[in-house]
Amino acid sequence: MRSNDAQMLVLTVLADGPLHGYAINTAIEELTGRKLGPGSLYGALSRLEARELIQPADQAAEAQERHRTMQITDAGRDQLRAELQQMARISAAGLRALGITPA
Amino acid sequence: MNAATFLTRLYPPAVCERWGEDIRHEVSASGIRSWPDTLAGAARLWLHPGDWPETFIGQTRRVLTVALFALAAVTGLLLRSAEPSTTLTADIHHPATSLWIAPLLLGIVLAAPLPRPSRAALRTLTASAVRTLTAPAAAVVALCLTAWSGTAEHLTGFADAAVVLFYWLTLGFVALRLCAFVAHVTRTAALPTTRRLSTALLHIGTGLALAAGQSLLAIVRTAPRPGSLVETLTLGLLAVTAISAGHDLRQKRA
Repeated sequence: MRSNDAQMLVLTVLADGPLHGYAINTAIEELTGRKLGPGSLYGALSRLEARELIQPADQAAEAQERHRTMQITDAGRDQLRAELQQMARISAAGLRALGITPA
Repeated sequence: MNAATFLTRLYPPAVCERWGEDIRHEVSASGIRSWPDTLAGAARLWLHPGDWPETFIGQTRRVLTVALFALAAVTGLLLRSAEPSTTLTADIHHPATSLWIAPLLLGIVLAAPLPRPSRAALRTLTASAVRTLTAPAAAVVALCLTAWSGTAEHLTGFADAAVVLFYWLTLGFVALRLCAFVAHVTRTAALPTTRRLSTALLHIGTGLALAAGQSLLAIVRTAPRPGSLVETLTLGLLAVTAISAGHDLRQKRA
């Protein structure tokens, strides 16, 4: 998973709590300043669900809901933590190389 | 049908069932600027069947089986449009230029859903075949009668164009109904396993890649025609689709 890809953004906003598709995109817009396109967003949701990194928030209610609410799984949290820690290391190294002290 | 609904229906059925309403809503809200990303998203998901959710067991295998036969049907129509050709043949008298068809046929055999060996299942299968294939069979008979009557040879202008159109519409109709029949069969027959399906896709992809290679070689050796360029590109695209989907399926659902 690359640091700037749709899957990482979806995991990041879902780490805050369960959301449905449209709300996920609104949260991503608040975070990055722009929404993901429908293909990128729902492709990412399908891939993350296939890899069991996210799951429906309520399996029973899910079938009746028009908009499915998704939540991050424990495996998803572990994956996100590993990715963010790697990004933090890269970020720190880059800032050091530029002579900037991280805030 | 509006554009948002049309674009949503381009997604694999399982994705449509799970996220269709949300995708349609997002496309409607974002307008025309979201269309390229929506199209790219649909293409990416078709190339990665391992990412499809399943609303019932075997849904991915069922959809892929039908898609694989649709791919074979498109290939058949494409090659029919290129005939007569010395580059891509499909007969035992030209083994070197007909080699490409061997992996393709093997792939189709591997992906074929097997009807259950029971009287009830065979009755259902026969009924489905009669229901689905009667109309295309009648169209083919009509086409053959027109050809054998010899009237088509003397036609010119609009009448000639109408007969050619009838010919291609019949071929298209037959291909469509055969795919519909495969879709009916997959409801009751034993579906191929994921491993068999991925192997079938890889074989079909190999056959198509060989065909595209042969076609490309002919273009390099002779003066390229727009028709042969389109044929080569389409064969190459179909090959990439089949190989990519087969590879993804093998990796993720093995």
